[in-house]
Amino acid sequence: MNKKRRMFVRMVLASLLRRRSRMIIALLAIVVGATILSGLGMIYYDVPRQMSAQFRSYGANIIFVPREGAEMSIEEINKGIGVFPSDKLEGYTPYRYENTKLNNLPVTLAGTEFSSVLRTSPYWHISGELPAGNGGCLVGKKLAEKFGLSAGDTISPLNSFEITDDIDISSIPESEIYEDPQTGEKFCDHSLDLKISGILETGGSEEDYIYVTLEDITDLMLNERGFDIVEVSVAASAKELKDYLDEINKNAVSLTAKPVKRVTASESTVLSKLESLVLIVTLVVLALTMICVATTMTAVITERRREIGLRKALGALDSSIVLEFLSEGLVLGAAGGIVGSILGYLFADIVSMNVFSSAITFRPLLLPVTIIASVIVTGLACLIPIRSAVDVDPALVLKGE
Amino acid sequence: MFFRMIAGAFRRQWKKMLMIALTVALGASIATAMLNVMLGVGDKINEELKAYGSNITVVPSSEAVLSELYEVEDGENKEEYLSEETLNEFLTIFWANNIADFAPVLDTSVTVDDTEVRLVGTWFGHHLEFVKKGTTYQRDTGIVNLRSWWDVTDGVWLDEARLDGDRYAMAGRQLAEELDLKVGDKLIVKGEKGSEELELVGIFESGDEEENCIFTTLSVAQRLSGAQGKYKKAEVSAITSPDDELAEKAAKNPELLSGDEYDLWYCTAYVSSICFQLQEAIPEASARAVRQIADSEGKILEKTELLMALITVMSLIGATLGISNLVTSSVMERAAELALMKAVGAKNGQITRLVMAEIILTSIAGAAAGYFMGYAFAQVIGQTVFSSAIEMSGMVAFLVTVLVIAVTLVGSIPAIRMILRLRPSEVLHGGH
Amino acid sequence: MKLLELKNVTKRYGSLHALDSVSLSIDKGEWIAIMGPSGSGKSTMMNIISCMDKPTEGQVIFDGRDITKDSRKKLTEFHRDKIGLVFQQFHLINYLNAVENVMVAQYYHSMPDEKEALEALERVGLKDRARHLPSQLSGGEQQRVCIARALINSPELILADEPTGNLDEANENIVLDLFRQLHKEGTSLIVVTHDPEVGEVAQRIVRLEHGRIVSDKRNDSFSE
Repeated sequence: MNKKRRMFVRMVLASLLRRRSRMIIALLAIVVGATILSGLGMIYYDVPRQMSAQFRSYGANIIFVPREGAEMSIEEINKGIGVFPSDKLEGYTPYRYENTKLNNLPVTLAGTEFSSVLRTSPYWHISGELPAGNGGCLVGKKLAEKFGLSAGDTISPLNSFEITDDIDISSIPESEIYEDPQTGEKFCDHSLDLKISGILETGGSEEDYIYVTLEDITDLMLNERGFDIVEVSVAASAKELKDYLDEINKNAVSLTAKPVKRVTASESTVLSKLESLVLIVTLVVLALTMICVATTMTAVITERRREIGLRKALGALDSSIVLEFLSEGLVLGAAGGIVGSILGYLFADIVSMNVFSSAITFRPLLLPVTIIASVIVTGLACLIPIRSAVDVDPALVLKGE
Repeated sequence: MFFRMIAGAFRRQWKKMLMIALTVALGASIATAMLNVMLGVGDKINEELKAYGSNITVVPSSEAVLSELYEVEDGENKEEYLSEETLNEFLTIFWANNIADFAPVLDTSVTVDDTEVRLVGTWFGHHLEFVKKGTTYQRDTGIVNLRSWWDVTDGVWLDEARLDGDRYAMAGRQLAEELDLKVGDKLIVKGEKGSEELELVGIFESGDEEENCIFTTLSVAQRLSGAQGKYKKAEVSAITSPDDELAEKAAKNPELLSGDEYDLWYCTAYVSSICFQLQEAIPEASARAVRQIADSEGKILEKTELLMALITVMSLIGATLGISNLVTSSVMERAAELALMKAVGAKNGQITRLVMAEIILTSIAGAAAGYFMGYAFAQVIGQTVFSSAIEMSGMVAFLVTVLVIAVTLVGSIPAIRMILRLRPSEVLHGGH
Repeated sequence: MKLLELKNVTKRYGSLHALDSVSLSIDKGEWIAIMGPSGSGKSTMMNIISCMDKPTEGQVIFDGRDITKDSRKKLTEFHRDKIGLVFQQFHLINYLNAVENVMVAQYYHSMPDEKEALEALERVGLKDRARHLPSQLSGGEQQRVCIARALINSPELILADEPTGNLDEANENIVLDLFRQLHKEGTSLIVVTHDPEVGEVAQRIVRLEHGRIVSDKRNDSFSE
């Protein structure tokens, strides 16, 4: 039996290696099919992750707010942030809001971390630049128009408050304290000079605020207190987000983590559309490509009807002819599948680098799937023409044109 | 004789020709479907992105920041308003068809059960109809599509078309829990200039501060605040083109654009040109892009279009290789026949012309069939994903035709080189 | 001793009588030429003798056994064991070299054996061309490979269909010499041809016309 098997291998190999032009055509068809399968497959599986990162341009999708009557503790904020995997966390920014006065009119001051603010609010348009540090500020466009301010100007927001017994006034300069002559109540007008480094345009409520550093707002208010809100931007699916939030809320006592529904809900809507778009496009293109592969294989096999007739005339049983041709097809399918799955990966990577500027996630499972699929498609594509070829009377094939 | 030979080839080889035609048709249908989807995907995704709500807000141009801040201090109301008639102008601007939805907003402070609550009046499925310069404009619009992320957990959305009479309201979940409100409850709402009895038809979750508000129809809010026929702000959701250099230049100051640039900018649905047109139509208003939404939209659109374009390129390469492959193999298959023609004295040029004529005729037939198959596939994709048809671009038909002919010709090159190399004796003695 | 007997064999394709009640008996070791113009039924007869086709009516008795009633699979096996085929167009597998083409016949028959296959090629004078592909061989050489393939399984009968139709005179003579050798060794030969020169060298000449045998006579000029 061994000799027979050796001859079998010899025939299959000879057919594959010596009929080079035909085999290249068949192989090319399979490689194209396999490349599309593995390439589109990888893109399909990576689209949610990659797109999710793009959707972070909508800014924060999670906020931490203090629980009723509590102050958010720094440890718990850090612990909460620690729940998000570092590769999914785009950034987080704390805010503290205070009411102050500018030119005797009330304005809201927001203390924040300028180093991370553009990561949670990438849509901020700043004419000028972000403050380099303490002593600088960003002014919202509406506010700037109202007060006729522009970048480079200096403003002095005023913190005006009544001095009560529980306030430590030792650090307040004498000049800022005055007394109401009628009531005898003591007041303090504490102000801070801030240079406007840029005007902020967002089209939203941010345009009504003045943004300063956390240190400056502490200086101005003369006290330190917890943040009003921490904005967090996380590139994760709706389900993952929910798991993270549950974990944070289970442990935290001073804060609550909440999704920004406008961002998260809309993202799931759009993302699911995008995913199904890529899926159905993949399916349609794949189906058509597979048919293409099949027609090419059919053409390649049909061409060999006469050879099949000859083998029959030499006494070959139908089953052994089917087996030989099928083995050839399967070897081709496997070879094409291997090459195609690698090319597909490279292609998906090029797409990913061009569209999302990040590498595609390699899905090892797609390799065997691609190879098996090409083997199956090639096998089926061979089987149909072989079956019809072995049914033909060898005498007719050998005689006629 | 030439035509008789071609006709003969089709008669004798119709099976093979059918195979070529089928493959060309498949390739052409991939190309047609993908190109159409690629060209149409921008519009479709743009519509989907409307889920994020308004990307333009319209406020009185002289509106003082101070007024809102006064509210914080003492609730004193020196608000600036826009008159309700100005809402008509939204439908008269050049890009009116790109305005997917819009709704006026009038908010005011009211008390319910001695609790101070913010009440927002707006449109819910409002029917707007008016005649201007002999043209009748009409539109059904409102807040529903501008709050796609709301979950109405109890009851239903307020709907002006279904529930007539101004006596309905919706409440945010937090407020409802705080005041122990249920759907069907009748609330006595006291405003600055009057009080109303409102029936609660729905409770919603929004995940933001609106969960502490009561939403009702515009006219109720107008009566409660005494601002009859007025509104404070309009939210607009417009389908826009992503910003590019021109849009950025125009955003700084439209006056600085050259004549041609200005025309191009004005006639492109940039968020800035739509804002500009709204301000033109309503001089007392200021229209501004909501950067969070407008910018992100541009980014997502751009990425999606690029992604689809690259997938299309990939499929086109696949289709191209598939077609040229089969053309090559089908010509090679006929080596013996062609060698025979050579042996009886046919010149290379004659054989090449014959083969090319056959293949191109077949390809054209295949491409025509493929175009319609591709049309069907594009519609399947459109209906499945977006539940709407994908517009067919005439350019695609042209592109596909050019592509198929080019691919067929390129696919024939190896085959023709083979014909030229062919030595009759070798092929005829090649056994088989 | 009889190798093959056709008894009143008729083959109809629709209303066309390709063979019309033909009876023929062939002894073991005989060399017969079947001659006739195109359309006389030569090929049909050849197909029926080689078990690749069944008669519409009549019996074919091969080696004392009626093969008209056998199943297709049985027929294939029978044909493989008893008959070697030589074709006008050689029908070599173009991606296998000479020795491999011979081995294919062994493969389907019993067991491929390269040494035996090389010996067969040596017999037809192609030992040094054993590793050449058909496209590298001349027409005569290809036909000799075809003959080597036909005799590799030591068949009782070699059936040759226009074996010299595609050959020049020199190659024709080589092939005919090979037939003479085979005949000497006791192999039965049936050669279908319309070429008188090929027919004249056979032991017995059967002429067909319109599906009937019009003459069947021993060849007087036959030389051992």
